[in-house]
Amino acid sequence: MERFTNETIDTLSLPKFEETVLSPLNINYKKIIYFNLGLTFLILATIIGVVLYFIEESRAYVIPAILAYVVLLLFSIAVNLISFRNRGFAFRDHDVIYKSGAIVLETTIIPYNRVQHVTLHEGFISRKLGLATIEIFTAGGINSDIKVPGVEKEHAEKIKQLLIGKILKQNTINE
Amino acid sequence: MNNDFSNPQRQSLIGVLIMFADTLQSAIRALFPILIVWIIKIDQMNKIYLTIGILAVFVLVAVIAYLKYINFTFYLDEENEEFVIKRGIINKSRLGIPLDKIQQVNINQSFLQKIIGVHALEVDTAGTAQKEVTIKAITHDLAQSLKSRLLEGIKTTSDNSKVETESYDTVAKHAFIQISLLSLFKTGITSNYVRSFGILLAFFITMFQYIEDFIKYAEIEDDPLDNYLRTDVILKFIMFIILAIMAMVIVVNLGRTILKFFNFRITKQNDSLLLSHGLLNTKNTIIKPEKVQIVTVGRNYFQKKLDVLDIKIRQASSQEANNQDNKKTAIEIPGCNTAEKDMLLKFLLHEIPQEGIVLKPNIRKILMQSIKFLIIPLGAYFLLANYAFTELKEYMLFLPVYILFISLVMYFGFRNSRLFVNNEFIIKQGGAWDVDKDYIAPHKIHAISVHQYFWHKGLDIGILNLYTAGGKISFGLADYTTLKQFVNYWLYQVETTNKNWM
Repeated sequence: MERFTNETIDTLSLPKFEETVLSPLNINYKKIIYFNLGLTFLILATIIGVVLYFIEESRAYVIPAILAYVVLLLFSIAVNLISFRNRGFAFRDHDVIYKSGAIVLETTIIPYNRVQHVTLHEGFISRKLGLATIEIFTAGGINSDIKVPGVEKEHAEKIKQLLIGKILKQNTINE
Repeated sequence: MNNDFSNPQRQSLIGVLIMFADTLQSAIRALFPILIVWIIKIDQMNKIYLTIGILAVFVLVAVIAYLKYINFTFYLDEENEEFVIKRGIINKSRLGIPLDKIQQVNINQSFLQKIIGVHALEVDTAGTAQKEVTIKAITHDLAQSLKSRLLEGIKTTSDNSKVETESYDTVAKHAFIQISLLSLFKTGITSNYVRSFGILLAFFITMFQYIEDFIKYAEIEDDPLDNYLRTDVILKFIMFIILAIMAMVIVVNLGRTILKFFNFRITKQNDSLLLSHGLLNTKNTIIKPEKVQIVTVGRNYFQKKLDVLDIKIRQASSQEANNQDNKKTAIEIPGCNTAEKDMLLKFLLHEIPQEGIVLKPNIRKILMQSIKFLIIPLGAYFLLANYAFTELKEYMLFLPVYILFISLVMYFGFRNSRLFVNNEFIIKQGGAWDVDKDYIAPHKIHAISVHQYFWHKGLDIGILNLYTAGGKISFGLADYTTLKQFVNYWLYQVETTNKNWM
């Protein structure tokens, strides 16, 4: 009886996910990006320094090493900034949209009636900044899960409640 | 026939042998690196110590197997309506399965079990949280009566009509589909060329290198191979090797197919399918249509001429969802003909899917693949061959073969790549030699993602991923606007459907 038989549906009049206005991540999340970058490159610099100090033959390559390091650093900063600017999320009536990426721009959409569970977690720095990460899981495998970082704690709690409400509502409809 | 399962009982005494084989197998697996070293250094080792060592391992394994056997008991707790299994030598564990949680009970038989005349009983429970339970060695009669007793339990506790208590001997008499030996033969000689070829080629190359190493190691001054290896001889030799490999590919595939799928029977049990097959190991599998996520129908040029095709069914499981394109865990039905395929599709998907609107990939797909499989690997090869390892130049002869092979695969892959969309189904076709069609119903979709490289933005092309509980389906590069339209439509379908994905 619930067979879908509407043959001539006008696909152009359907709501368009690509036209949804996405909310950007909290600006404070940039600090976390910088912190992570800084930490990674500090460790890398330490390793290079140790190698140069202890292995004498490696000193001939000191200039290429520094050059590569700087190029990698600039590239990482650029990619991370572009990726920050590109990220955005939206919670529509029936699904959640998350957009991310720098070189590859990816948009993932999960309908609420396919959400398995939702988690909220805060890292050490994000707790200091009052931010949280929302993770939305489906049964479609780890690659299909959405992870929205850099959402204000209060906002994130509300989103989580909203999602849980939606999941519960869906379950009662199905039963 | 002993029908009283309320007292804890052990497996058949002869089951110790199965335990022994299992324990030995895991011991060998765990000690594999040490074993390799032993085998290599076998000449230098003290034979007495070696024998003692091996004997000690055997005795230890035997003792462990016996203790495992002694400590493994199962019984039916009538009061709590539970099937209980107790096991463990040092860490004892008690596993209770409520009878109404039992989905299916399968009786399987491996080669060893066939020899000593016992069966394995597998209890399949609902949900992924609990691991399935296997009793490894019980007699056929006991297995049958336990099976019917376990499934009976469900009937009394809930009116689950899915359950079939009929013994599978009687069911087997009216098979839904039976794959004949001829069909298996056809499948065997026409499938898995590429994979088997790769494995055998690797084998031959290793053998060849081993022989060369051996000659060097034996310190023979004149390498006899070098003297023989003139161009004409090399060509003849390569031709011979390739022909030999091809012949072996066919023989190996034929053997493998018949061994694995001999006497393939599909039986309909109310609303699920029971598959049973195997020459040495008999395997039973249950398929429930509502758990099926992706159905793949594949065939190559030869199979088309012979009217055989392979069906692969992916059911919902966290394992499948995560290993993406890997179809290893899929349930395979080989050697169906068109009529049987239609029957199966009708049963699994409730109708035979029609091809709807066609979407073709963009020509850029070939360009992208050429960069990935031709330009980058060849560039790396020339760079390395010129500046670092000049001995790589010896393999220059293989380059045209590689380029030809990759180009053909890319061309046919592109030509066969299609996405068909209609109201009820999404059909993705792909593959260069083996042309596979993946069928999914939109309501089985869990998440959709589209992605685009930034330099493809102006061209308006992108890639689509559909995630189901049975794995991922990818299509692209294709027209991004059309893909987005489809996405909106599928979202609409998923969000308005009452159908469950499982």
